[in-house]
Amino acid sequence: MDTQDLTLHLSDTTHEGRHFHVMPIEGKEDVLQVTVSGAEEMPVYLTADEAQILCFTYLFDEGEVIPERLPTLLDNMLRLSVPMPLSALGKIEQHYVVHGALATSATYREIAQELTTLADNAIDLLEIFEDFLK
Amino acid sequence: MKSVFKKMLTAMRGGVNELGESVVDNQANRIFEQEIRDAENELQQARQELAALMAENTSLARQIKNTEDEIARREDDARKALAASKEDLAREVAERIVEAERQRSELTATRTKLQGKVDSMRERMQKSEKQLAEYKRELQVVKTNERVLRTTAQIDTNIGSNQSSLTSAKTTLARIRERQQRLEDKQHASVQLEKELTGADLDERLKAAGIDQESDAVEGVMARLKASRSESAS
Repeated sequence: MDTQDLTLHLSDTTHEGRHFHVMPIEGKEDVLQVTVSGAEEMPVYLTADEAQILCFTYLFDEGEVIPERLPTLLDNMLRLSVPMPLSALGKIEQHYVVHGALATSATYREIAQELTTLADNAIDLLEIFEDFLK
Repeated sequence: MKSVFKKMLTAMRGGVNELGESVVDNQANRIFEQEIRDAENELQQARQELAALMAENTSLARQIKNTEDEIARREDDARKALAASKEDLAREVAERIVEAERQRSELTATRTKLQGKVDSMRERMQKSEKQLAEYKRELQVVKTNERVLRTTAQIDTNIGSNQSSLTSAKTTLARIRERQQRLEDKQHASVQLEKELTGADLDERLKAAGIDQESDAVEGVMARLKASRSESAS
């Protein structure tokens, strides 16, 4: 997966009426920040290696969770993770994230679908879990 | 795999899973990758050896079959010689049979040994194939974990604190709501504009003021009808 090609393609395409704003994140790793129209507040980060394309969006940090509500929140997150389309809930260091992985053979269309779904899911999740946050 | 998961979790919980302190450093990963490649090469070689052994086995089976055919043929010959009362000839044939039988048992012994070799080699290969797949899976997990950590570190450094990845979820939610409100306002405004452009808005206001053009028109027609009726009646 060539992220430059992907950048050009995504910038130039719409998927189900949504368009994408792609910004490479400077550094050693190939990382793209993708903002999906209609869900601009929840940028999706995309990184690829020889085995898979990994996409994720930050939801909230552990410090933002009301401590006594954490067990219920985690239980809810696990339960939602299974039926949620094309994404799963997870944690990277102190960040809770919603993420999805694609095979490197994924088509541009599939990637666009994944990005859109992730961004939309992220907004819904944030709204659902608002009560658990400080 | 269990041990890798365990190591990773311990490192994560202990907070040592920071950049530069990852569970297995890059150098170790490269060594591991090289080991996997070596193992794959060895496996490939073993596969070729196994193929050669299996070919040898097939050839032995053919030789055994030939010997058995010869024994059967010679026994037939011997029986015929005996029937013709040619005992000397029959004895000579019997000697051939003994020789062929000796050959057969030698070949069979070799084949049994070879079969054992093939079986154990196959078993060893299956084991190492399984082990190799396991190593590959472990390596993938470790590499993905590191990639994720490096990626998030890179994002944190580049995005800084002025963007959503590091702003609080509550602030983000407020922004989401603002956008949703803006969208709603916009939709409302466009509906309003549409009404104004088509005159639907004016009609609505006239109706609200008790002035309904349509019912006025009906009343007008009714009055006209009534008037013409009274005219024709007079």
